[in-house]
Amino acid sequence: MATSSTTSTVYIHVIEDVINKVRDEFINNGGPGEGVLSELQAIWEMKMMQAGVICGPIDRSSAPKLAPGAPITPVHDLNVPYEGTEEYETPTAEMLFPPTPLQTPIQTPLPGSVQTPLPGSVQTPLPGSVDNSSMYNIPTGPTSEYPTPASDTGGSTEAKAGRPSPYMQPPSPWMNQRPPLDVNVAYVEGRDEADRGASHQPLTQDFFMMSSGKRKRDDFGAQYNNGGFIPQQDGAGDAPSVALQASQGYGSLGRHDMITNANIEILSHATRQAMRIPQLDGPIPDPYDDVLSTPNIYNYQGVVNEDYNIANTPAPNDLQASTPAVAPQNDAGDDDDDEPLNEDDDDDDDLDDVEQGEDMNTQHLVLAQFDKVTRTKSRWKCTLKDGIMHINNKDILFNKATGEFDF
Amino acid sequence: MATFELYRRSTIGMCLTETLDEMVQSGTLSPELAIQVLVQFDKSMTEALESQVKSKVSIKGHLHTYRFCDNVWTFILQDALFKNEDSQENVGRVKIVACDSKLLTQ
Repeated sequence: MATSSTTSTVYIHVIEDVINKVRDEFINNGGPGEGVLSELQAIWEMKMMQAGVICGPIDRSSAPKLAPGAPITPVHDLNVPYEGTEEYETPTAEMLFPPTPLQTPIQTPLPGSVQTPLPGSVQTPLPGSVDNSSMYNIPTGPTSEYPTPASDTGGSTEAKAGRPSPYMQPPSPWMNQRPPLDVNVAYVEGRDEADRGASHQPLTQDFFMMSSGKRKRDDFGAQYNNGGFIPQQDGAGDAPSVALQASQGYGSLGRHDMITNANIEILSHATRQAMRIPQLDGPIPDPYDDVLSTPNIYNYQGVVNEDYNIANTPAPNDLQASTPAVAPQNDAGDDDDDEPLNEDDDDDDDLDDVEQGEDMNTQHLVLAQFDKVTRTKSRWKCTLKDGIMHINNKDILFNKATGEFDF
Repeated sequence: MATFELYRRSTIGMCLTETLDEMVQSGTLSPELAIQVLVQFDKSMTEALESQVKSKVSIKGHLHTYRFCDNVWTFILQDALFKNEDSQENVGRVKIVACDSKLLTQ
């Protein structure tokens, strides 16, 4: 704690020092004036407090200084939407995601499911700022939100496991509210919702289009007429297991009885698996339909599949390019539209993962000056000074540091 | 006085840079003035580190990558252990960027 308070003190000193020393530039020579300078200081300090590197109480001492000089209120107004992207997106997404405000009970589970995809999508447009928030906000405020994206793969299982039971209730109101919905309409709506945030949703729909094309369209029509919303959730869960269940349902029993049960199962499956499955799932349908006759290719897709997530698309392209037969078949496939969608989705996910991974990697950073760096065989020693370390979301300053590394 | 732009990558520097970016984009601040502020930050941060910080840290770890380019050392450590007087931190992967201190004194 001592270090962090010292860091905070030094930071506040630096802020004041900078502000004082540039004051002349702001006031004289036709500068923008004291008000803008105060705005600068206010935003800067606010960002620092959001980042959790300066303490609120200490900052109050400088607050009265600001108060007379500057339009503080406009400053905060300006930044509320900006900083608020994380905090405000949740309610917004809530409003958007369930089309009707009736389901108050759902809103507890829904934000969770919405949050997971959304941070990713927000990070793309605002790399700099969101970097900070994702890196630094953990100590400050909404700690609960950030573990979710960070530990996406690990924590998602637990998070989703809790969801299904409350989540299963809402579909019935939705079904009742829009019984007339056509399957096509449902897809369109799903697309809209998907565009707003959940990047996995399109995959889902595509998969469904695929499967519905493969099976009897009528069955799906009758089945999913009940609730236009269901198919989207469904597709993600349309992993082999669920698909099997569903198809067994059509075959053995009367379609309508089994349908509701299947829906429920699918829903719960979907909510659990929605996050992870699409990535693994996506590439399969096309080759499955189009290239099934050429087993080699199918093997490629199946085996390399998990590697795609890591290595991104180039590898599969190379593979496919090397076998000339593949490309024409894929191009000539019925689902040209779906294909890029699927691949894009995977790419997006991969990129997000990669970016998050890189953020995680570069998250710990030491900035310093070196006095001396020596090496004896594989043993490195260095002496650093005047450093700023950002480690485990804490900022630590040092005057001197000694490093001993083995290579 | 020579300064490093190194510290602009720190939390405080990034916060300042973001603030300046926003204000320049909104038109409340001219880019030239924003740069002047950044240069002043370089000076103030360097001075503050020299004069106000007394703590010492020891770093140990496995050196994954080293690089010396344009008088800047870059180390990437794995499983690094940072110790100072009252605490210690373990980090799976950390990057150290260090400029030559002699460049400042010249």
